[in-house]
Amino acid sequence: MRNRPLVRIHRSCRAYSVGIWVLLFVAVLSSALMVVFRVAPPAGLSFWAFARNHLEAYNPMVAEWNRKHPEMAFRTSLIVPAALQRRLLSGFLSGTPVPDVVEIERSIVGSVFGGPEEDIGLIDLGPLLAAEGILEQLNPPSLSPWTHQGKLYGVPHDVHPVLLAYRADLVEAAGIDVNRIATWQDFAREMAPLMADRDSQGRPRRYLLNIWETNRSGIEALLRQAGGGTFDADGRLAINSEINARVLATIVSWTTGPDRIAVDAPEMTASGNQLRLDGTVIACLLPDWLAGIWKSDIPDLAGKIKLMPLPAWEPGGRRTSVSGGSMIGIPKRSRDPAAALAFIKYLYLNPQLAELVFRTTNIIPAVRSFWDLPVFSEPDPFFSGQPAGQLFIAQAGDVPLRVSTAFDEFALSEVVNATQALKNFANRTGTYDAEDLLPEAQRQLARAHSVVAGQMARNVFSRPDS
Amino acid sequence: MSRQSSTSAWVPWLFLTPFLLTFAVFSIVPLGQAVILAAQQTFGPNTTVFVGFDNFRFLATDPLFWTAVRNTTLYAAGAVFLQLPLSLGLALLLNRPNLRGRMIFRAIFFAPSLVGLVFVAVIFSLIFEKRTGLLNVLLHGLIPAFDVEFPWLQEYVLPALIIAALWMFTGFNMVYFLAALQNVSRDLEDAATVDGAGPWQRFRHVILPAIRPVGAFVVLLALIGSFQLFELPWILLAGPGPENRGLTIVMYLYQIGFVTNDLGYSSAVGWMLAFLLASFAVAHRFFSRKEQY
Repeated sequence: MRNRPLVRIHRSCRAYSVGIWVLLFVAVLSSALMVVFRVAPPAGLSFWAFARNHLEAYNPMVAEWNRKHPEMAFRTSLIVPAALQRRLLSGFLSGTPVPDVVEIERSIVGSVFGGPEEDIGLIDLGPLLAAEGILEQLNPPSLSPWTHQGKLYGVPHDVHPVLLAYRADLVEAAGIDVNRIATWQDFAREMAPLMADRDSQGRPRRYLLNIWETNRSGIEALLRQAGGGTFDADGRLAINSEINARVLATIVSWTTGPDRIAVDAPEMTASGNQLRLDGTVIACLLPDWLAGIWKSDIPDLAGKIKLMPLPAWEPGGRRTSVSGGSMIGIPKRSRDPAAALAFIKYLYLNPQLAELVFRTTNIIPAVRSFWDLPVFSEPDPFFSGQPAGQLFIAQAGDVPLRVSTAFDEFALSEVVNATQALKNFANRTGTYDAEDLLPEAQRQLARAHSVVAGQMARNVFSRPDS
Repeated sequence: MSRQSSTSAWVPWLFLTPFLLTFAVFSIVPLGQAVILAAQQTFGPNTTVFVGFDNFRFLATDPLFWTAVRNTTLYAAGAVFLQLPLSLGLALLLNRPNLRGRMIFRAIFFAPSLVGLVFVAVIFSLIFEKRTGLLNVLLHGLIPAFDVEFPWLQEYVLPALIIAALWMFTGFNMVYFLAALQNVSRDLEDAATVDGAGPWQRFRHVILPAIRPVGAFVVLLALIGSFQLFELPWILLAGPGPENRGLTIVMYLYQIGFVTNDLGYSSAVGWMLAFLLASFAVAHRFFSRKEQY
């Protein structure tokens, strides 16, 4: 009587098949083995990077570092940006593992700055770099994306100035002198003869510029070149500025209507590259990192293109912009911050690596003293013998300032939506002149501004008093 | 006797314990936390500010949320009013006993649902691409005046999403209808035929009432699936699309929660979605009961 429940359990157990008992045994055994023979955490310090081409350049140097400093050896991990963002934030905010050194892309860093200062999981490197005299070696505008409330959370990897790459073979064959181009107006006027060539349906065979209404990076670069953008230098939302409206109206006047001069040839796509190769696109905005990708993806362009400073928005205006960027930083929970800083200095203040990075990626460093290295003055056959490095370096000091906030991506999306809406308005009303489009551009940007401002106002962490 | 009944009372609980524990840990506790989260603004688990109903108040006037609701509702309407009739039509065709190669057709129509949404999105992004996309090349080949640069994914965002979903889910829903049709009494159909009913009358008065419970279930499934739409537009449009015309509720939830890291507001959006889906389920239950009595 007393054992009846046990008898029932015994009977129930007999009802199960042998397979279930085998599975149960395997599960219990494997769990026990995992408890007894714990996998030791990997030895050494960890370094997370998001860009394959960066890491490929670093790997020989990291191997050299590990040979010299076995007590501070680093393991490198390549993690795609979206995963890196999630893992890093999770580590900063929830205590999951973080690396000892991390390279972060600009679109990610804003989310790190999204909360209160004590929750920023990176070490303020400003005082350390200043004490060692490193800060003054760095290109000042390149520090802005990694600075938040006066603190510098990373060493810039790059500058990423933007130049204009154009089909020199076609431009020169048409007898066009690019030295006469100083502004975007000059560009449209001087290059216009290239659009005279039409197909059987009367459409131009060539377009002057690679820009379109949903091209986020292109629109952002042009806004910044003009002195606009989504946030001003103090981090205040500035979507509805007069400058932004003028740039957007001009971009839309380029991309639609009977006198359109622009075409969409997306970067890093087969169809876009084909348009560049067959000369449908005459000129493209080209940051230094993209030049490296062109060299590997479109080698047939070699010798056909040249670089020039961007045409300015007004006479005497800025002849460059900025696009992309990355930094290297040390998480607060790094196991050995001193070793991490030494490793960062070894990588980023190493002229040998700067040369290697430029040769493999075309990226110029943010360390100004390296700009005199001979490699940057070498004629580049891809750019028709021009010293591509020096052309980018010549504009590096003038790249626009950028701040990073958690609302960067959202704000830029709204600006792109405003551009698309403006294009729809242009097509609906037959308004294609930039001046005529200006009031609607202002209206669309005011709407975008209010949407983003609403989200920011609701967020207690983005209020100035928080 | 009382001792026996007391021991037999705890034995079922003993067996239920593993389920109850996992259910509590992985469902009840997170649900409770999500309720709390919806009343907070957060930056990670350690930094939280209680904001009461502010998240819901903002939601009521948030233009982006209502854009997402509008887009999702239109997509769901497309799923229900285009996809399901098409599925039913295919099922009716494939249910004909004299159709040759029935099994092959069934396999062909069902095959797209074996492919993941991500792959469907990639395939359709290639089909709708300007200049080199299959659709534009085909149309330009047939009608030379057709602009090969026509931007489908900018001009017709929702129709493009509905077409992609149509390709994927029509065959899947067809299987439900086919199963229901095979349970329709042949005697009833024959009796209706003898009584002089034509094909439409047989469909209207015999087949449709017989498959209605399955139809209602498929509608519910389609609605729930539509309101959870995320991967298809996210990949096909590389984001919410031009002017947010491809923004869905779940995509908005993701953007807030994981791009701007505002899990509190994201949780409020999640609760609104849960409320919508629950209301569909309740409506389904209500109408199903009504039919039974």
